[in-house]
Amino acid sequence: MENRFGIKDFFLFLLIAVLIGVVFLAMEQYDRQWAMIQQTNNLLNQQTNDLSQIRRLLERGAYVSATTNPSIAASPMAGFERVIKSHQMPDYAQGDDLVDTLSVVPEKLTPYISNEAASAIVQSGVLDSLCARDPNTLEWIPQLSDSWTISKDQLTFDFQIRRGVTFSDGSPLTADDVVFTFDLIRNDKFEDPALRSYLDMLGPVTKIDDYHVRFVFKKPYFKSFETVAGMGILSKAFYSKYSIDDLNNSTGLLIGSGPYRLPDPTGWRPAPGTPIILARNERFWGPVPSFNRMVWKIIENPAARATAFQNGDTDIFGGQTGGPSPDQYDKMCADAALLARTHHWALAVPSEGYFYLGWNEKQGRDGKPTVFADPRVRRAMTMLTDRERIVRDILRGYAFVINGPFSPMTPQADPTIKGWPYDPVAAQKLLAEAGCVMQGDRLCGPDGKPIEFKILYNSSSEIRKRIASYLHDAYAVAGIVATPQPQEWSVMLESINNRQYDVLLGAWTGDIEGDPYQIFHSSQIAGQGDNFIQYSDPKMDAVIEKARAIVDDSLRMPVWHEADRLFHEDEPYTFLFMEKDLDFIDDRCHGVEVTKTGLNGSLEWYVPQSLQKYHD
Amino acid sequence: MTEIGTITPLGHGELLATESASSSRSYFRQIVDSVLRRVGAILGAIWIGTLVLLAVFSPLIANSHPCLMEKDGHWSSPMLAHLSAGDVILQTLFWSGAVLYFIPKPRRQTRLILWICVSVLAIGIFPFIINPPTIVEYQIYREDQQAGKIEKVFYAPIPFSPDDHLFDQMEMRLTAPSRIHWMGTTSDSADLLSNMIYATRIALSIGFISTGIALIIGVIIGGLMGYYVGWIDLLGMRLVEIFDAIPTLLLLLCFVAIFTPNLYIMMAIIGATSWVGYAYFIRAEFLSLRQRDFVQAARAAGLPVRSILFRHMLPNGLTPLIVSASFGVASAILVESTLSFLGIGLVNEASWGNLLNQAVGEGGTFYWWIALYPGLAIFLTVFAYNLIGEALRDALDPKLQENK
Amino acid sequence: MFAYIIRRLLLMFPTLLGITALVFFTMAFSPGGIGGPLLDRSGNMRGGQQQYIRAYYEKRYGLNQPKLVQYARWLNLISPIGFRSNDDGTLGSFGLKWPSLGESMQQHRPVMDLIAESLPITLLLNLISIPFVYGFGVVTGIISARHRGGWYDTATSLSQLASWSVPTIWAGVMLIGLLANRQYIKLFPTSGLHEPEAVFMPFLPHFMARGWNCGWLFDTAWHLVLPVVCLSYGSSAFLTKLMRGSILENLDSDYVRTARAKGVAERDVLYRHVFRNSLLALITVAASILPAMIGGSVVVESIFSIPGMGKLGVDSVQFRDREVVMAVTLIGGLIGLLSQILRDIIYAMADPRVSYE
Repeated sequence: MENRFGIKDFFLFLLIAVLIGVVFLAMEQYDRQWAMIQQTNNLLNQQTNDLSQIRRLLERGAYVSATTNPSIAASPMAGFERVIKSHQMPDYAQGDDLVDTLSVVPEKLTPYISNEAASAIVQSGVLDSLCARDPNTLEWIPQLSDSWTISKDQLTFDFQIRRGVTFSDGSPLTADDVVFTFDLIRNDKFEDPALRSYLDMLGPVTKIDDYHVRFVFKKPYFKSFETVAGMGILSKAFYSKYSIDDLNNSTGLLIGSGPYRLPDPTGWRPAPGTPIILARNERFWGPVPSFNRMVWKIIENPAARATAFQNGDTDIFGGQTGGPSPDQYDKMCADAALLARTHHWALAVPSEGYFYLGWNEKQGRDGKPTVFADPRVRRAMTMLTDRERIVRDILRGYAFVINGPFSPMTPQADPTIKGWPYDPVAAQKLLAEAGCVMQGDRLCGPDGKPIEFKILYNSSSEIRKRIASYLHDAYAVAGIVATPQPQEWSVMLESINNRQYDVLLGAWTGDIEGDPYQIFHSSQIAGQGDNFIQYSDPKMDAVIEKARAIVDDSLRMPVWHEADRLFHEDEPYTFLFMEKDLDFIDDRCHGVEVTKTGLNGSLEWYVPQSLQKYHD
Repeated sequence: MTEIGTITPLGHGELLATESASSSRSYFRQIVDSVLRRVGAILGAIWIGTLVLLAVFSPLIANSHPCLMEKDGHWSSPMLAHLSAGDVILQTLFWSGAVLYFIPKPRRQTRLILWICVSVLAIGIFPFIINPPTIVEYQIYREDQQAGKIEKVFYAPIPFSPDDHLFDQMEMRLTAPSRIHWMGTTSDSADLLSNMIYATRIALSIGFISTGIALIIGVIIGGLMGYYVGWIDLLGMRLVEIFDAIPTLLLLLCFVAIFTPNLYIMMAIIGATSWVGYAYFIRAEFLSLRQRDFVQAARAAGLPVRSILFRHMLPNGLTPLIVSASFGVASAILVESTLSFLGIGLVNEASWGNLLNQAVGEGGTFYWWIALYPGLAIFLTVFAYNLIGEALRDALDPKLQENK
Repeated sequence: MFAYIIRRLLLMFPTLLGITALVFFTMAFSPGGIGGPLLDRSGNMRGGQQQYIRAYYEKRYGLNQPKLVQYARWLNLISPIGFRSNDDGTLGSFGLKWPSLGESMQQHRPVMDLIAESLPITLLLNLISIPFVYGFGVVTGIISARHRGGWYDTATSLSQLASWSVPTIWAGVMLIGLLANRQYIKLFPTSGLHEPEAVFMPFLPHFMARGWNCGWLFDTAWHLVLPVVCLSYGSSAFLTKLMRGSILENLDSDYVRTARAKGVAERDVLYRHVFRNSLLALITVAASILPAMIGGSVVVESIFSIPGMGKLGVDSVQFRDREVVMAVTLIGGLIGLLSQILRDIIYAMADPRVSYE
């Protein structure tokens, strides 16, 4: 009994346990080194292949002749004028890494099967599309396609594909790849339901010859061209090796013709904590990209992201990948040391989206009309909301008031519309017209009952909470009881889908040219369409339908202006504001410019030799 | 033994009950005395008492509505006009309880029954006759004062209500403690001290009521298990094991996900997930008690089961329950704070947990006053209940009694 | 004894069934179906996509079927004997198959992968805390029992109840705010388990071309200091009290009196006789500390943004990711039940007076 378990034995066990632990850790370390060696080997192999190919081409003189090979349209670098300009700057240098952050690990990098923003950001560096938009003129400029025609009935688009384009593994890009891409997207088994819905009106996609593709649409729709021209083209040779199920279950099958490539196009797995790295595509058919690598570090905590930027560990803090909140931005702008080595902007970009108050016009789905069914009441509510004050106090001025769903920086919005001012007196008059009078200190509706409603919003957003609290106080002055109703996201979605709410404080993402059909057309009230305010106006329906069918830009914009005026008159939403995009960029990135759609793309940036930090 | 043998069946139960009642009262007195002799328990009781006073008198201590105001020549009391039915009920309960406690005349039991009657009347009647105005604009008083429209005004000691978002001074958001806001302001631009005072109501009520619910459920299930052994026990043990082994926070999250959490649902949910400990205790007690003589006699006398369970067996098994209940109240408060902190519990009402949630801002800024004061409040309350629980345990533990 | 173990293990199954059924139906009846896949990065919805995404997911995960059928499908998924499912969702043949935990609706990855990534982190956090908890508890308990009534004893008993009462959320927030913040002292990192560069670090500290590199081990340890402190202060206070009480109880027993009468030195009495018997109480508590800590680590992981199982559970409940919630419940329940059985077994082994026959 004495010798059952002594102190000696306890220490012995502890020692053994520690030994086992150390051995295991050593094994892990060895594994990691081995994996790195494998990666290095792969890279070396690819470089060797490249070198041998170049040597072969040089011997045949093919490189020289390629620059004189006439393509059907202008110079081979059409569409890259801005990039070439930045490459001609005096301190231009190639090399270095561009380091950005992402707030979540993207689940999948395989194109189209995940509608995450993080995946889309990475994919945009790897995939090319047929056309791109000029960031300032908003016109379409050639990318993979160097010319295109639109038929008179606006249903047929013909694209000529640039010659000499290859994917990053060397295989040529032809019309076959374009047809393959669109067939894949429209394949029912492929897991991209939302994207498939955008191509509803697309008919057959046919290859006329190796460099000529034709798209035929069933009905004229103004977004048809945009959808088709903006889709990233996938390599048939690479992706057709996999079955649809393999693609759906895959995590990182990403290869394209773009300026950067995924070093290992088949084996990427989401690993928490590991940065996502794209390497320069040496075979890129356009101007040679400036950076050796594009790195995205995964930092979930917004405070940690700010810290990483302030320490100089990342180059970009803002924009698409998660930037500072208005309060954080102000704080950073007060830091002199930070300002000395960075630049910052508060930009109005069309893709930022807008905040709104959606007034539900029926009680529940198809119930009795609420007090908001009367457009005068809605207009009055807009006039009772001091939107300038919300922008000033809650968003620190980093937003601007809007009066319709179209971004004021795009041609879609009517620039002559003056929004409803903040005018409680006029609002009271309007309410009186609509039959709402004050009884005591409460405002009562036409049915004699006091007006009270709940403002529904997503409980995880601090800004919405403050706006709802402000609205509660502001409407109380007018005698209306507006109670904030925060709900968890899933619960809120359920309420919206059942149309069981009073007022919704929400936000939509934006677009350079948005289609108000899904949100404001009466056909979208039924089911789970996004017209959950149950707004139905035949005039608005007609205008939207008319505009959607016009493919010619110059003819379509006046119709949108008409819609904008209708929005202003009817106020189905109270359009609150559009946030500004807040960006901080380290000064070592040169070539950064402000355009109408925000900051110019990183393809035009570079780091001068003297400021380069990351050497291989 | 002889006594029991000669008692008639009719009076037996009553006699035993009153005897046990009277001896348990003097036992009760004993316990209370020995508990109150301990320093820890005294401190704990003082803190809880302070909280109770704060909870009852919160609208009189912290209110944006002035206590007395002279405007345009006539006096008014907006504070009294805006008292809600709940406030008035609490005041009634408190004052009637205090008065009835101190008058010596009728017997204790009658006084208790009187108090219960008054409470039921209050709860039943006041919600219908007390209707404060629904529209509240706190900024009016400050604005009128600045404009000079008010001649004389007297405010409560803390002139801010918890939901006063300072509509006229929205830039006062997240300011450090100062002379105006003694504990600073929250991320809603509301005064922190006032929020904390009103949050005592939530803390105390969740503590007591959810523990009460858990006690009731635990006693019933545990009692039935301990009395009816056999397949009821087997089934009951599985039920107890299920609730014991389930990751509690996960279950709470799921429950809270079903219902939009308001105060009463939170109480029920926390009660429904924490009854396991009490069931274990009662079952163990009943298992040992059911073989005892007095229980056998009661069964032989043909008394109904619920009488046996609750009048005879339960008073003897109360000891570990009381100690456990005190720790249970502390744990219920902790659970509610944790859920509110994670953003899942009470979102609308001010509670110490969701105040603590605002302590670290989005950009990582640390607002020390929002972290310190609500956290301190939670800590002191839990500590107080733990102290009382410890003191009870020491007082009720027979082994330690011998050593004294 | 063996029969007892078998009986307990068999009884585990109905309990697990009960646990999973409870959680499943709670989730099934909660409002809000799939939520996660519909949002973009800033929490905004994209117009017009909702109905298509919803329809797709409902068809794929069978969210339209009656709840009992969905539960039966899940049971079929995790059992090693059942209907194999074909690629298009219909049921295949009956027989032995690999049990699978399903696929996460929000992250589109097998749940097994998610658990395999997060469970080791939670276990790491808890297993590192346990030696600290025990070491501190045992040592402090012995010292305060030895100098009973002295200043150390009084100070310890005052502070142990206090530290047991400190809420984890407060401790976490205060520690982060004061020790991990640029405004005050930045001694520790704000969040997470690794720096972003950690993947490229070797295990042990090295002098590399770019300077001193502290190595993956130390980087992780540095990140773990604050979470471990948060997780262990409460349990170590509890253990101190337990140890002290157990030693005092033993010091009053007969065999100690005999030893003293025989002339054994006080030190030897304490360390050779009493210590081992006092450990009994601690051992029985040991088996229930692990599930308690796993529950406590939910809060710690949320505060410190550590990607462990607790955080996985909380996030998946918020997104109504049913498969992940069920998997986390299953594993949590399994750990809880196994540790209960373990506790009973250890108790029987350690104390020969206890028998389950």
